[in-house]
Order: sequence, then structure tokens, then C-alpha cells
Amino acid sequence: MTDDAGNLSIDFLAGFTIFMIALIYVATLIPGLFIGLESQTIDYDAVAYRTGVILAEDPGMPDNPAWETFPDERRDEVLRFGLAISKDHPNILMPQKVDRFFCSTWSYDDYRSRAVFGDYPYKYNISLKVEGEPVIRSTGEEKPDGYGYIRRVVKVKGTSNATIDHEKVSKYDYISHDNVTNDVFSIHINCTELLHNETIKNPVYQINPLKDQIMINITDLDQMGNTSINTSLTDITIYRIKPISSNSPLRLAPIRTFDTPYIDSETSSVSGLPVKVTKNITMIFPPGFFSDFADDTTQLYVFLNFTHDSWKQNYLNNTWNEGPWNVSKSFEYDYNPVNVTQPELKDGVLEVAVW
Amino acid sequence: MVNESGQLYTIEGIAAGMIMLVTAYLVLGATSVYTPGDTHISDMQLEQLGTDALRMMNTPVNGTSESQLREIIENDDANAFNTQFLNYVNSKTGTETDNLHYVAEVSYRNITDGGTTWSYPLADNNRPLTGGEHPVRVTEWVIVHKTLPPDAPYAPKDRAVLVEVLLWRD
Repeated sequence: MTDDAGNLSIDFLAGFTIFMIALIYVATLIPGLFIGLESQTIDYDAVAYRTGVILAEDPGMPDNPAWETFPDERRDEVLRFGLAISKDHPNILMPQKVDRFFCSTWSYDDYRSRAVFGDYPYKYNISLKVEGEPVIRSTGEEKPDGYGYIRRVVKVKGTSNATIDHEKVSKYDYISHDNVTNDVFSIHINCTELLHNETIKNPVYQINPLKDQIMINITDLDQMGNTSINTSLTDITIYRIKPISSNSPLRLAPIRTFDTPYIDSETSSVSGLPVKVTKNITMIFPPGFFSDFADDTTQLYVFLNFTHDSWKQNYLNNTWNEGPWNVSKSFEYDYNPVNVTQPELKDGVLEVAVW
Repeated sequence: MVNESGQLYTIEGIAAGMIMLVTAYLVLGATSVYTPGDTHISDMQLEQLGTDALRMMNTPVNGTSESQLREIIENDDANAFNTQFLNYVNSKTGTETDNLHYVAEVSYRNITDGGTTWSYPLADNNRPLTGGEHPVRVTEWVIVHKTLPPDAPYAPKDRAVLVEVLLWRD
């Protein structure tokens, strides 16, 4: 008689094999089972959250040079939108990035591929309200009844500006007492001091002449000199001192003119100089204006050249004392709050809706 | 006589097993399992909002001033906290506003009694927690120049305190 001890039943083998195959098959299906549990709302909320993080906490890509400086012809080089000043300062938005982001030249697909992302063609609405601004910035479609949503509390960096009024002119003695037909007033923008200040090191609070808008108002010109003599603003020229090497002498060199100031509170800027001026001058240097010819070691001087119809006395001039182009008495655009209204952060709310 | 060795007698069992597996798969795949997914997302949104609000309150508006949150804690100014915090968390870009409620308290280490943690209420918006709400907890560390506890025998100095806010929506 044959001893069948130790034999393995073929029933057992077949059953165990089928069981193992089924177990492996089911195990591989388990992740797929839970796909049905993820509702579309949750997906939309997650996409909205992701877009909110990208916009509020990221400076975008590329960051140097920054994407917001790219003109429309180079839009393809912009890989990702982002409004934060830097990764180290989440929720603090840079106004130049905000302006460029809400620029109407971007298409719907541009926003989708650079801020919303995802293979699914999501629809979106992104809006930003900034304290003190009458207009709510918005892009995208009108929101439907149901959508994924995130709201971020942010701050937007403000811009600095200086107003040189009669009070400052008297305080700093910016008056020429000579009887002349030409007066020159200079403003000093010291990039080294502004960008390497010992106290203001945080870029959130810095005045950055290479990136920020610089605004200078000169007012009360009708309170200086004989008003019956007409005065024209002949030119506004930017001069530069840049150390080329440690041994070379520093030299002022004209580098660029600025021809579009606002004169006498007009709502639009003039298109060219010279122009007659009676009361005030506003110069708004847009973001990046100085970056083409300056860096953090450059000293810039803005010279305003006034020409009078006749001999005029007691007019705006801070270069008269020791001959022309003396810059020792230049108005300093710096961190002194008496001279310059410092940039402040403004509250804002950023909303992202995705559906 | 036919030898039974090698016969598979369990065809019924195999068939039944397959049916059970297929059934289980279909049932699992078709069942709507109610997870608290939406609640989780709302929690995340509230947490993000509250964290942002505290962070922005703890960010000075310019390079020379102190943050609002620091001044509020140093002066125990509950009204200022209430106004500012609700303004941050309830603001929307449209004309309508949100309707969130909160309770805030401050915690710190008491260095006069060996380092135990003390807390005191900072502010709330007159909506005490009843237990039925579903609040989220957000926090922010703040450096304040203050004597803590107020009756401690030392002059005001820089201290790290933790602001904790329970935030919920009705």
C-alpha cells in the first residue's frame, strides 16, 4: 500500500494559488477603490489652495531677472506667477508683481498654465482687494454657485515718495539768492545707502530704487522768486557716480533724461521738455527705471534745470553755493521720514475660486 | 475504476469564492463612504485664514514701528485685537463679509516660579464656546517687551509669548 503521508493535495495547491492571485489582485485594486471617495469639491478646494499658496507665498519663476519685468514678447519665459516679495516673506506682496499679474495682456490660458496648473481645464476667479485702493483687481470668470475656494490675508508693499515744499526749501536753504536766469536743483538717490542701510535691512521695508517706483513732488514754486517772471523746466537729467575701481576718481556723468513729469497738477504727464512751470512738478519714476544703469553701488543725482525769461532771484536752487553741479546740498531721498514718506505695508485680501 | 487522484472537487468553492470577491469589490467600489472630507477642507481654510491674520497682525507696517499684535499684548488692548482680527478674517474682496467668531488667549512661561506655563484671556467677540462649535486652533509666537506675570519683581523685558486663537464659523 502506498503511503501518502507528506503528499500535498492538488486541491489545496489549486485553492491556495487562486486565493493568492485573488488577494494580490484585490490588493492592487484597493487604491483605486478610494478614488470614488474624493469629491470634486475637495479637488477644487485643493487646487484653489495651491493657487493661493503660489500667489501669496512665492515670488514666481524666474525670479532673477524677475518675471514681472518681462515684456509681452517674452511671456513664454514666465514659468510661474507669484506675487510675494520673496520666499522668506510670505503674504507680503510686491506691487510691481501685482500690477503685472493683473495686466490685461495675459490670456486665460496664461493664468491657467502659470498659476492654477493641473491637467484638468479648471475655471478660476482670482481677486485682490487692497486697503485704500478704490478698484478691486480681478481676473477670470464670474463665480458659479459651487466652487473651490481659499482666502489669504496679505499685505502689499507701498511706495515711497518725497515732497519738497516751501517749508523744506526754507529749512534746507534751497534758495538761490543770486540774480540769475538759470537755476539747478538736485536730488540725491544713494543706492548704496538705500540698499545697504544698517537699520533697514528687511527688503519689505526698503526703498529699492532699482525695483520700486520713486515719486518726487516739488511744490510751492509759486511762492519762490518773482512770479511775474516766467520759468520753464528745461530738462531733467539723471547723473550717475559709479565707482569703476577703487583707484579711479568719482565723476558725475549724465546717463539719461526724464521727459515726462506732471506739471502744475495736470492729470497727465507732459510729453517732452522744456515746459512752463508755475506751481509744482511731480516726477514718477516707474519701477525699474533706474535698473538699466544703476546697481547697489551707484549714486544717482536727478538734476532739474530751470530757465527764467529774465533775471530772477530767490528761486529753487541747491547747487549755487560753490558753483554749478555742486551736489553737497542735494536733497537726500533716504530713510529720513522728514524727507521721504517711507514705504508702508497696506492690508489686502486675496481670493482664489476654482471650479 | 477511475482513480480520483488529481480531481478538483472544490469547483463550487472556487466559484463561490470568486463570486464573493467580485461582490466585495463591487460593493466597496459602489458604496458612498461618508468621510468628513468637506469639514476637513473647511478646517484647512479656517486655519489658513487665522494663521494669515495673526501673521499679518505681527508684521509691522514700516521699518521703524512695532507690530500691532505686539502693541496689543503689551497694552492688553482687547478692543484693538477684536477690531483688527475680525477685520482681517472677515474681509472679502466683494462687498459682503464673513461671519467668524473667536476666543484668543496668551500663554507664556512664568520665570518666577520655575517655568510653568501661564495663560490669560486676550480677547473674544462675545460669543463664548458652548461645545457645539467646531473651532480650529491657530497660533503665533510674538516677542513683547513686558513684565510677565504683571506682578513679577522685574522690569519689562523682551519675552516670547504664544497667542492662541480658537476660530469658528456658525
